[in-house]
Amino acid sequence: MISLRSPFGWVLRLMAVLTFIYLLGPLFVIVAASFSDTGYLAFPPQGFSLRWYRQALGDVRYLNGFFVSLRLAGTVAVLSLVIGTAAAVALTRFRFPGRALLEAIFLSPLVLPGLVLAVALTLFYAAHPVAPPGLPRLIISHLLVGVPLVLRVMLPVLKRVDPALEEAAQNLGAPPLQAFFLVTLPALKPGLFAAAALAFIFSFDEVEMALFLGSARDAPLTVVLYGAAQMQMDPTVAAVSAMLILLALILMVAQQAYANR
Amino acid sequence: MHASARRGLVAAGLLAPAALVFALLFVWPQLGLFLQSMPAGAPLAQYERFLGDSYYLGVLGNSLLLGLCVTLVTLVLGFPLAFLLARAETRWAGLLLLLTSFPLWVSAVVRSFAWMVLFFRNGVASRLLQSTGLVESNFQLIGTFAGVVIALAQVLLPIMIVTLYAVIRGIDRDLEHAAMSLGASPVVALWLVTIRLARGGILAGSLLVFSLSVSAFATPSLVGGARAHFMAVTIYEQTLELLDWPFAAAIAAILLAISISVALTYGRLLGDAKEQAR
Repeated sequence: MISLRSPFGWVLRLMAVLTFIYLLGPLFVIVAASFSDTGYLAFPPQGFSLRWYRQALGDVRYLNGFFVSLRLAGTVAVLSLVIGTAAAVALTRFRFPGRALLEAIFLSPLVLPGLVLAVALTLFYAAHPVAPPGLPRLIISHLLVGVPLVLRVMLPVLKRVDPALEEAAQNLGAPPLQAFFLVTLPALKPGLFAAAALAFIFSFDEVEMALFLGSARDAPLTVVLYGAAQMQMDPTVAAVSAMLILLALILMVAQQAYANR
Repeated sequence: MHASARRGLVAAGLLAPAALVFALLFVWPQLGLFLQSMPAGAPLAQYERFLGDSYYLGVLGNSLLLGLCVTLVTLVLGFPLAFLLARAETRWAGLLLLLTSFPLWVSAVVRSFAWMVLFFRNGVASRLLQSTGLVESNFQLIGTFAGVVIALAQVLLPIMIVTLYAVIRGIDRDLEHAAMSLGASPVVALWLVTIRLARGGILAGSLLVFSLSVSAFATPSLVGGARAHFMAVTIYEQTLELLDWPFAAAIAAILLAISISVALTYGRLLGDAKEQAR
């Protein structure tokens, strides 16, 4: 193998370190700037103060946005998990013509631009108001990406679980449904957790559909932040961003801890 | 016979919710988008308007150029890091890979805002450039094409690294060793062996990042500022601000055509690569 101690190895290392700084530096900058004791955004921060956090936590727009986002992402994660896992079971445990094609079609929203999906849905709802505007509309729209995300995680997981185990349980007298819940489902648990986390994060972080389909009253946090960031360089936005970075960190650590259990 | 019919019914029942979501929210709206972009009487008028106006052609060119620049930057920066992570033998490698993908857990809005902090007139990056004397004293990177490239490349870099990492992990490191024991320098071994074998992954990552940059919205609109002439930002303006839906639908259809052709090229190139490997 290529020695990492050779001069060439050191060049590679130097590039990797610089790339690492480029990748994570901006997140560090925003956290540091959020503690600055100045009336404007300052990096490096001057002084230390929590006043931007107090301001952010006292701001109804951010608080409301956070709870709207939690409701949105929680509902999307649960619905995507149920709908996506059911479809994944059908696609892996049953043989029928056109199965591979159906799988490819179901996954296709993942490769299309979110903005195009958002525009198409905006025009669609204007002509066919199938869901009330605001949060319900946004929830069912997020399923369009949430379900494929769950499918992408669960299809390989289900392919790895041997169907013979479930058949064995059935041969021993368990009804099919009971065999599934007692034998297959426990083996799927880590996959289910990862899939739900993925759908939750997508929905919580998504901004294009939220901008197009959300109502002003039920604006998710990303939409509130997008509007605030466009207006001015407000340190409160940095404080909210820093809290979101912390939340993402906690979620990632929890997901890892669960996966490595 | 009776049992197989029941099995078929169960399969249909399991698939029905996903099929409903897909038909109602994907197939129907996408068809509606095409129909709305071609009003009766003058079906191609919206497309002619886009392709006949040098301003909109400039927007398209800008987005394609952005895709090209971001792909190059993420490839050049991503490969060394992905290579080191894939070849490292310390227990830190797993943690470093995790940290590399961490930005994907944070909204693009937050990550773009971080760049705005660095890029505005008094931001560190802008002041650094001002101090070199190459730019005017009130220069800021916000609103510049270079600023959007720097920010968007950082936003999409984890996707490139994760794709490359998976491919490099699959390449036997003994092949590099063999090339070097036959007299190749590390650079030549990397070029002739690793990069050749990682071609599929390099292509996959590049096409993915290209497609995502051409259609990116949050970063170009925040870092690019009010004068961000990119496809997604233009579609946003036409849909929500100017309310010109047939035109917005036409531009969205053009963007969709670009994404689909990139996805198809990707599939074909991958097929070719598999055939060559045989």
